[in-house]
Amino acid sequence: MTSQTKTTIPVHLDINGHRHTLQLEPRVTLLDALRDRLGLTGTKKGCDHGQCGACTVHVDGERVLACLTLAAQVEGRTVTTIEGLAREGELHPVQAAFLEQDAFQCGYCTPGQIMSAVACIREGHAGSDEEIREYMAGNLCRCGAYPHIVAAVRQAALEVQS
Amino acid sequence: MTVHNIRVGESKRGDASDGGADAVGGRLSRVDGPAKITGAAKYAVEQQLDGLAYAVLVESTIASGKVRSIDTSVAEAAPGVLKVLTPDIIISLRTASDWFGTPPPDAPYCPLARDVTFSGQHVAAVVAETFEQAVAAAALVEVSYYETPAIVDLSDAKAGDGIPIDAMTKEWGDAQAAFASAPVRICAAYNTPREYQAPMEPHGLIAHWEGDKLTVWEPSQWLDGMARTYAEWFDVPFENVRLVSPYIGGGFGSKALALSHGAVAASAAKMLGRPVRLVMTRPQTFTGYGGRAATRQTVTIGADRQGKIQSIVHRGINETSIDGMWVEPLGSVTSIMYATPNFSSKQNVVRVNSVVPGAMRAPGENPSAFGIESAIDELAYEVGIDPLEIRLRNYAEQDPEAKKAWSTRQLREAFAAGAERFGWAKRTPEPRSMRDGNQLIGWGVAAGTYPVRRAYGEAIVRILADGSVEVESSSIDMGQGTYTILAQTAAETVGVPADNVVVKLGDSRFPRAGVAGGSRLAGVMTGAVYKAATSALDQLVGLAISDPRSPFHALQANTLVVANGRISSPRGDGPDLSIAELLSSVGRDHIEATGDTMPANSTAQDRYKNYTTIAMAVPHTEGDYSRHSWCAHFIEVRVDEDFGTVRVSRVVSALDSGRLYNPKLAESQWKGGIIMGIGQALLEEGIVDRRHGRIVNNNLADYLVPTNADIPDIEVISVGIPDLHSSVLGGKGVGELAIVGVAPAIANAVFHATGKRVRDLPITLEKLI
Amino acid sequence: MRDFSYLRAGSVEAARQAAALPGAMLLAGGTTLIDLAKCGVAEPDSLVDITHLKGLDKVEVSERGATIGALAKMGHVADHADIKSRFPAVSEALWQAASAQIRNMATIGGNLMQRTRCPYFRDPSNFPACNKREPGSGCSALGGVTRGHAVLGTSEACIAMYPGDLAAALVAFDAIVHLGERRVPVDDFFLVPGTTPEREHAIEPGEMITAIEIPHSAAARRSTYLKIRDRQSYEFAAASAAVGIEFEADGRTIRDLRVALGGVATKPWRARAVEEALKGKVLGPDAVRAASLLAVEGAVDHGANHYKIELAPRVVARAILKMGETA
Repeated sequence: MTSQTKTTIPVHLDINGHRHTLQLEPRVTLLDALRDRLGLTGTKKGCDHGQCGACTVHVDGERVLACLTLAAQVEGRTVTTIEGLAREGELHPVQAAFLEQDAFQCGYCTPGQIMSAVACIREGHAGSDEEIREYMAGNLCRCGAYPHIVAAVRQAALEVQS
Repeated sequence: MTVHNIRVGESKRGDASDGGADAVGGRLSRVDGPAKITGAAKYAVEQQLDGLAYAVLVESTIASGKVRSIDTSVAEAAPGVLKVLTPDIIISLRTASDWFGTPPPDAPYCPLARDVTFSGQHVAAVVAETFEQAVAAAALVEVSYYETPAIVDLSDAKAGDGIPIDAMTKEWGDAQAAFASAPVRICAAYNTPREYQAPMEPHGLIAHWEGDKLTVWEPSQWLDGMARTYAEWFDVPFENVRLVSPYIGGGFGSKALALSHGAVAASAAKMLGRPVRLVMTRPQTFTGYGGRAATRQTVTIGADRQGKIQSIVHRGINETSIDGMWVEPLGSVTSIMYATPNFSSKQNVVRVNSVVPGAMRAPGENPSAFGIESAIDELAYEVGIDPLEIRLRNYAEQDPEAKKAWSTRQLREAFAAGAERFGWAKRTPEPRSMRDGNQLIGWGVAAGTYPVRRAYGEAIVRILADGSVEVESSSIDMGQGTYTILAQTAAETVGVPADNVVVKLGDSRFPRAGVAGGSRLAGVMTGAVYKAATSALDQLVGLAISDPRSPFHALQANTLVVANGRISSPRGDGPDLSIAELLSSVGRDHIEATGDTMPANSTAQDRYKNYTTIAMAVPHTEGDYSRHSWCAHFIEVRVDEDFGTVRVSRVVSALDSGRLYNPKLAESQWKGGIIMGIGQALLEEGIVDRRHGRIVNNNLADYLVPTNADIPDIEVISVGIPDLHSSVLGGKGVGELAIVGVAPAIANAVFHATGKRVRDLPITLEKLI
Repeated sequence: MRDFSYLRAGSVEAARQAAALPGAMLLAGGTTLIDLAKCGVAEPDSLVDITHLKGLDKVEVSERGATIGALAKMGHVADHADIKSRFPAVSEALWQAASAQIRNMATIGGNLMQRTRCPYFRDPSNFPACNKREPGSGCSALGGVTRGHAVLGTSEACIAMYPGDLAAALVAFDAIVHLGERRVPVDDFFLVPGTTPEREHAIEPGEMITAIEIPHSAAARRSTYLKIRDRQSYEFAAASAAVGIEFEADGRTIRDLRVALGGVATKPWRARAVEEALKGKVLGPDAVRAASLLAVEGAVDHGANHYKIELAPRVVARAILKMGETA
């Protein structure tokens, strides 16, 4: 067993293909590490309690909430944030579909919506509008972009599959 | 010299179909979209500053009383703590004027409370080196109180009848007598609970002092208004305060004013000599500022047997706080939606121990419509007339209150278009007459309206050496699409592709703008940018014609055409140059023009007042016309007959917002308003523990807003026509309109489905079970 | 959140030993624990991270039944083909819980350890009285906002509702909790508050959930989880029912019936009275509705939660009748 006492510990993070080493208190969440320590502010804080989905990131390719994940927990795993989604300047099909369908207004829930949508399609939960609505329900949008988010996920799912 | 005539869309729908996506009226995708979908958009509190310290608020746990003592010793000894602020340990501020600019009393202001008037009031704050340390230390601040009995809500026996607000009284004819003699009379009470804006981005800020200059990065619907408040609090010149708010993660009325948490953060920054970040926790957002006030209305309608209204008597009350004043104008729709020869509306406000309520999407109109649009549905059943037909029978051909012509009112068209698309004619009138297995199906209709609020704004338009165009304004974009429609306005006016326009917003150093509230900003700012861009274009063409170095000089033309970034003569003879080539030829590196929507002889003092207060807003009934947006909602609900759960399964709304500057974005805002209305109708309610006067569902798991799964496809239809009485380019308000009328349309549909009339929002399952 | 130390356990044995120390807690998905630490409810001195332990995340369906490793994620179990086909109620309870993101984090073992959503429990600074947090301090919920509180299994000390979905399905189908070598029927694993609401589970210091075992049954194979709530998704139940049914050869007479309730009780609530009333009977709407009323025998409301007493039997009846339709 590896044991660390209080105060700070070194945490090695693999984020968007880059290695980072941070000296952190164990209580620092992945969300605060991204936003406050690494300047990766694309991942948003909406509630800090797992109630809104704005902080959705991928850990080992699966969508999770960064606000309820300790940074130390993801050492040894790969983390992808919204900043790492576009490859070589090419928008991910989900990003392009969000723009085309106007699937956002204020933009604050948008990174979480997009990360969630990418995973939703990958999981095979984008088979119908009803399924998309249910499997995207963990990402609140107060501007009310939901119908356009469904349209964007539907469109991107077809593109990703083809 | 006229070089350009604005093309007002010929289309009956109000969406200019000419000019393609780049022009005003085109379906250009959001120009700020790429930044938002890649995570590159940095919101206010996401600025990375050296030496940033983190502040966390400590809130009162009683609703009424006094702070007896605050023990900060443990917190101060905690790791990383830099400062603990209390009412006794904070710099002295001055009281700021209110949003009307009313001169304040010459009294000090302390944003941390000694006298507690609501649970959740800020009483202390902890500043530490890291966020985690500040959070942990804030829990160690020990506050003790002298507690006194609180007035917890409108039903509290201590609340009383409240304070009459004479300015809300509207009367004509003899409403009481006409009601008494009417052959058909209905009377009912309608209640709405405390509701919360709940923008996804919590309120917060970074405050940073450099000498006596303050920079505040804060999500803001009104940079100049908030800068004024900070300047007055800290007694520094207005010019010394810079507000920066490049993106705003939703506001819905809640981010228009500088609030006490901002004063705390800016005080802490000054005391520490370091930049300080303070972000409210999600629970704090339910008490750190006010949501929509709880309201109660009684609506009585007297009518003849054909459903023709003879009298409306309306009484309303709304909550306000112990030491603040919020009036939610409950008679605002009641007085204008239907023609009636006799009318009376009065309103009281009642003081309770809560944070002062505030603006939330269509304040006034929203609860007002719930009353009158439910009541007329009740009248329709009473007289046995279709709910759509009774609305047409009582159609107001002019403003019944102001007795003025409507500038435009496409409400009849909205009813027609919505009804046709929805299939209203197939509705069976009897309640409980439509079902699908265990689900009772109901169809409801309701109308909505919102006044056209007009104010002022100014903008700079620059044509740069490379031929691109730059727009600057201190107005903001919280998702309404300001960046995009101003790019379209500048692009169309100057004659360049929208791609070649850069719009810079959200910095109070830019030319000023009034509040982004009351659905006024788009009309104001497109007007200002249109004027500035026209002026810049005039300069450009003037140079091209008159400068001896210009290739056009020899042409002796009266005017030139600028299109797609190129200049040529109207007849196509002579040179054809890019804007960059022309500027180069005449030796200019840019052209700059300022435009505004102010009266021509405005003084500097007028301008300051116009941009930093709401005192100068133009009444919507100014002059010969009454100006409003209008809409009609047709909604289908499915109510499970065993469980009482209501799900909205279909929405068709037809809306008149005049000319749409960008239909793609306007449709999104309309749908967003409808969705917030669905939440209001079915889910949203701040629940008070009446023993403690405290909201207990102060989080996003318990204060329920709709999820994606709660929302069906929504069809919106634009029936607007350009309304040049309302704005320079013909648009009316978009953002608030669509929520108005949604809740009554749903309540009416629930009645049709179940035969139960629910007059208390939200319509939760226990009310139908 | 109070400061704590972080340990990564290298083995189940090491995790058990570390977690047995005073102030130590096991950390799996974190969706309850980190949340409650931020609320000031959980104040661990050290967290023992078990998410990197190998071999505890398997889902195995054998002839005896399903064995689900404690660290299997809720989302994975919900989508598992054999769970969907052999234990539909388990899959349905899982995918209707929380959100997709939370289901990718939360583990099956952690799900059983989920704490109540009582707003008074969750807010120590405003509501110091809570017998669950501080035994003997009182119950702030009594006399307060009770719309989401339990109507079954309550005591004078506590009316907090058990919020989970999965456990209702587990108690319906007689699942067994593996605490290492020790085996505890899941119905016994959850405790009613009585006079000791601080004690919610039959688990001892130094013990750790290692797996859940669900025996096969015809009723489990023909089962459903019906969840009713104000919001369509991402919300805890107003009332829910896990129901499984087995018919005699005639396809109408009920041989076996399993009914358990969620969203209405202080623990996942097996409704054996409903089961017994209908066993041997021919399935029919009137009989089912009458028997379903037995689901809330002994229920006590606290005002605003009265609707649960009306709602729960209707949910049970609908779920049973739905299983009958698919005969």
